[in-house]
Amino acid sequence: MKTALSIVHDAASTGSERAQPAVRVLDVSMQYGSAAPVLASVSFDVKQGAFLCIVGPSGCGKTTLLRMLAGLIQPTGGTVEFFGAPVREPSRDRAIVFQDYTKALLPWRTVAGNVSLSLEACGIPEPERQNRIGQLLATMGLSHAADRYPHQLSGGMQQRVQIARCLAQKPRLLLMDEPFGALDAITRQGLQEEVARLALESGTTVVFITHDLEEAIFLGDTVIVLAANPGRIAEQIDVDIPRPRAQLETRENPQFLSTRHRLFGLLQGH
Amino acid sequence: MPGWLKGWVLPVLLFIGWEAGSRAGWLPLDSTSRPSLVYKAGLDGFKDGSILQATWQTLEAAMLGLALATVTGVAIGIMLGLSSRMESATRPTLDALRPIPSVALIPLALMLFGFGLMLEATVVAFACFWPILLMTIAAVRGIEPRLLEVARTLELGTFERLKKIILPAALGRLMIGLRLAVAISLVVAVTVEVVINPRGLGSTMMAAQQSLRSDVMYAQLVWLGLVGWLLNALTHRAVRAWPGGEGAPA
Amino acid sequence: MKARKFNFEAVLFVVGLLVCWQLFAEFKLISPIFFPSPAKTLTTLYERAADGSLWPPLANTTVRMIYGWVFACVCGMVLGLLIGISRNAREYLEPSLEFLRPLPASAIIPVAILFFGLSDSMSTAVIAFGSVWPVLLASIHGFAQIEPRLLEVAASLRLTRAQTLWKIVIPAAMPDVLAGARVSLSIALILAIVTEMQASLPGLGQDILLAQRSFKSAQLYAGVVMLGLLGFAANASLVWAERRLLRWRPN
Repeated sequence: MKTALSIVHDAASTGSERAQPAVRVLDVSMQYGSAAPVLASVSFDVKQGAFLCIVGPSGCGKTTLLRMLAGLIQPTGGTVEFFGAPVREPSRDRAIVFQDYTKALLPWRTVAGNVSLSLEACGIPEPERQNRIGQLLATMGLSHAADRYPHQLSGGMQQRVQIARCLAQKPRLLLMDEPFGALDAITRQGLQEEVARLALESGTTVVFITHDLEEAIFLGDTVIVLAANPGRIAEQIDVDIPRPRAQLETRENPQFLSTRHRLFGLLQGH
Repeated sequence: MPGWLKGWVLPVLLFIGWEAGSRAGWLPLDSTSRPSLVYKAGLDGFKDGSILQATWQTLEAAMLGLALATVTGVAIGIMLGLSSRMESATRPTLDALRPIPSVALIPLALMLFGFGLMLEATVVAFACFWPILLMTIAAVRGIEPRLLEVARTLELGTFERLKKIILPAALGRLMIGLRLAVAISLVVAVTVEVVINPRGLGSTMMAAQQSLRSDVMYAQLVWLGLVGWLLNALTHRAVRAWPGGEGAPA
Repeated sequence: MKARKFNFEAVLFVVGLLVCWQLFAEFKLISPIFFPSPAKTLTTLYERAADGSLWPPLANTTVRMIYGWVFACVCGMVLGLLIGISRNAREYLEPSLEFLRPLPASAIIPVAILFFGLSDSMSTAVIAFGSVWPVLLASIHGFAQIEPRLLEVAASLRLTRAQTLWKIVIPAAMPDVLAGARVSLSIALILAIVTEMQASLPGLGQDILLAQRSFKSAQLYAGVVMLGLLGFAANASLVWAERRLLRWRPN
């Protein structure tokens, strides 16, 4: 289906590329000096177009893991591969949505200006830029706020702006670091649906970090539970609930409930 | 290299370069002098008491001006802080007077007082008046209204109310205004001396320059820097030590 | 924004003050030599404006002030950028800067005279040296405190160093830089006046000093009024510019 979202992700891949995992994390560990390791021997794959949720208690190293996928930090042990190539530095292909949106948006630029930043970075010339900004804002429901400054917007709207800016990069991987953690429940649920819809329509690979188990099961094709001290995989489960997933029905779906049951104990127990 | 040591690298290198460059003849002796001569001139200045006397004269004028500014600034500040009617009535007048650069009053003060201590003190007072006034108004306004109600309930007289409630509560913010005023007082005093007043470090520096004693001039400049720095450090300490001094928002 | 009621009391106060002063002067309760009446002061001001003798000194002082200030702002901002973004540079330089900060800028005047004599260059040097401090220190502070998250966004977008500087670092530090520039301007005005008095350079500073010497008090007061107006105009323009450039700020 060619929608406005096809501008988000140009899917052009050969057969062999399609088989390759988007992300491969091999035996990754993270240790600062002689302190206790933050992450120990974490390994998993993320298939192209999949939606992976990583959930765990505070201090389990999930943000550290995400930043490694982004290329902002390097693991002390093991490797991270992106479409077969080792990740050594950040790339426009891997967009990251931060939790603290107030700090991640440019306060001196309008909403349109913030989205424009990604397009400027990608070298898109001016007239084309305006088109894309318009489309992206429409996708994220921000058209009416194009000329507002971030501080004039609610938390949910600001996070939408950040997502729009990340989508403007046309990333092959979208990394989201507890993006809805600072928002109220109603806004959170609305944004969850939007992100799920965006991911489905564009086919972008998503790695989503959260401490909210229900959010993880609602959104993910796969859920990885990390235990803390040191951070390691406690469990990895596939969630086969068909998409699109509506909030109310999904949360009453038997598979949702059983998965939740199973993983709940893991989060509490350790 | 530890942090504190790094700060010394540049000054030490500069002094060494200055001395070496001067001795090698790269720098003209008349205008740039050299650290060893400057040091000697400084020592001589201390030995014959001239530096200390000049320093005292400067500080005397600065402190007198500061005292004048504090008395008037706090008094008027309290009045204007407590009565918003008075504040709005006087605001345009004050707003008109404030942008006048304090140094513009030098000829005026000269005309009224002639050369000497009062000339400097009055110009310093004008400059320091403003931060003290503004901070006092803010301080008085910031007093927890509950406290003022308590004062009224206890039927304290005006003076008692002032002494027991208003002044102590306002003191924190006031100290911050004072800290700024102290810095200003030194700068303005020296400025008046440099321009016209034949007393204090400013004028001795000018005299040294005029008699082509650049070593004396630089010695006094370095000393002045030390005095300024010391004054700054002391007022910082004092404000922090005062209860409510550092914690009060500026 | 409160509704603006016409401030009767303020007008009364000002008018009252001026009337009292005028009456005191008329009835010789205060010496007319030291305290010319407001009427006389204003008349002098008007006359000088009319015969054109007011404008050259005003222009001289203004140009002097702006010249030195612009120079100080450019140097201050560039140096502030270089020092602010480098932790190493800050560690080496900040102690020295902290020591130099409380030094009265006018103490540089004798040194400047030694090098430049009593000239316009001396004035520019003193003004530039004195006004660089607020904008330099504010810039260092601003550039040192760029939100790290924004730098990560820049890294993630693969912005070049130049792009990061232009699109992120400089705009982020602007509030600090502009606040520093405003303080610098008032210092520039003060030093312009001081150097004019010192070196008898043409301008309002020299004007009022000469007026004092010849006991032309009305002219003196008129000059002080002009300097007050200049100070006000300079500050008001910067506040206006700041408000426009920083209109994205909350409240």
